[in-house]
Amino acid sequence: MSRRLAGLALALYPLAFRRRYGEEMRALLDQTPPGALTVLDLLRGAVAAHLRPSPGLAGVVDVGDRLRASMSGVLACWVVFAAAGFGFYKTTEDHPFEVAAGAHTVLGGAHLGIQVLAILASVAVLVGAIPLSMLALHRARRQPSLRVLVSLPIVAVAVFAGLTGILILVAHSQHSQHSQHSSTAGGIAFIAWGLAGLACGAVCVLASRGALFAMPVTRGWLLVAFACGALATAVMAAIAIATAIYTIALSVDAVALAGEPNGPLQATSVSVSLIEQLIVMVIAGALAAVTTRRGWRAASELAAGAG
Amino acid sequence: MLTSLAEGPKHGYAITRDVEEISGVRLGPGTLYGALSRLEGRGLIEALPAEDRRRPYRLTGAGSAALSEQLQALQHVARSGLDRLRLAEVSR
Repeated sequence: MSRRLAGLALALYPLAFRRRYGEEMRALLDQTPPGALTVLDLLRGAVAAHLRPSPGLAGVVDVGDRLRASMSGVLACWVVFAAAGFGFYKTTEDHPFEVAAGAHTVLGGAHLGIQVLAILASVAVLVGAIPLSMLALHRARRQPSLRVLVSLPIVAVAVFAGLTGILILVAHSQHSQHSQHSSTAGGIAFIAWGLAGLACGAVCVLASRGALFAMPVTRGWLLVAFACGALATAVMAAIAIATAIYTIALSVDAVALAGEPNGPLQATSVSVSLIEQLIVMVIAGALAAVTTRRGWRAASELAAGAG
Repeated sequence: MLTSLAEGPKHGYAITRDVEEISGVRLGPGTLYGALSRLEGRGLIEALPAEDRRRPYRLTGAGSAALSEQLQALQHVARSGLDRLRLAEVSR
């Protein structure tokens, strides 16, 4: 178990660090059976390597791969951000929230802003991802290693869609039974569905990252995809700000609504849920900003090389 | 780690064991390679061609000079401390 965790911790190091020291570190881990302290040491080392990148590693990864790492990093952040965004949507979808948004300008404006920005970010992610996905599908016919990577997200999404369909059918069939027991079971099923959605997102991110590094991509498509990722990062920041405004406005303008029970098990309040979602958004957005900044340097070098 | 490499080139596992023997501190792989990366970035050590999956490291000229300077400073501190303890013993 610890060996697998150590391997996962190793995967959290920056790409340049893994390329330079990864094989040696794996050899060292093979010689000394890793325990919990070793895993913690690796996690601490991974954080330090991200925060203080060694100047000696600057030339280890070429410009194209630095852009690839930046784009897949933004995609991973977007998946986590979107999960928090979906939580926000579920929290505020009911009629009383619509009424409150109609009655209070700031609340209504922030809610509308979040919806428009969410569509914009989704479009940016799709515009960046579709050409690369088409390229991967095209190359998968000749490159067997790509076939698995291209198939994985399709299978993951199909399984998740099937699970969603089954849960909807079960929910409709039990719609008339309003007992405490069925409500708790529904909450647990919703949590399991959410975890399955995150697992599906993780498979999509990891497989698309693998495919992105396994195929040649022209400079133009790399820059287009990076620009879309940068736009998505900027929009994530704007959504986080709008969510903060909404959370504050709800606590001021609709105190009773903010204090109502919320969550799959009704174990928390609306305002606490919104704060939790905001924290996830801020962390995912900040990580996306860091990886976009690194990608920006690579994109500048790539563009300068083209000029 | 520089003291360990003063003896000659060593790979990661050998450095870990040597540092533990010298100082009693067991370095984790994250700490070890974080330090190796920083020392390499500062030009104090350099990597030699890989042997199997392991890569030995050795001190550079700058690394030897930095280690010598650090050890002399430590020696000065140690000598001063011991001298003062001895004087304190005599005056009691």
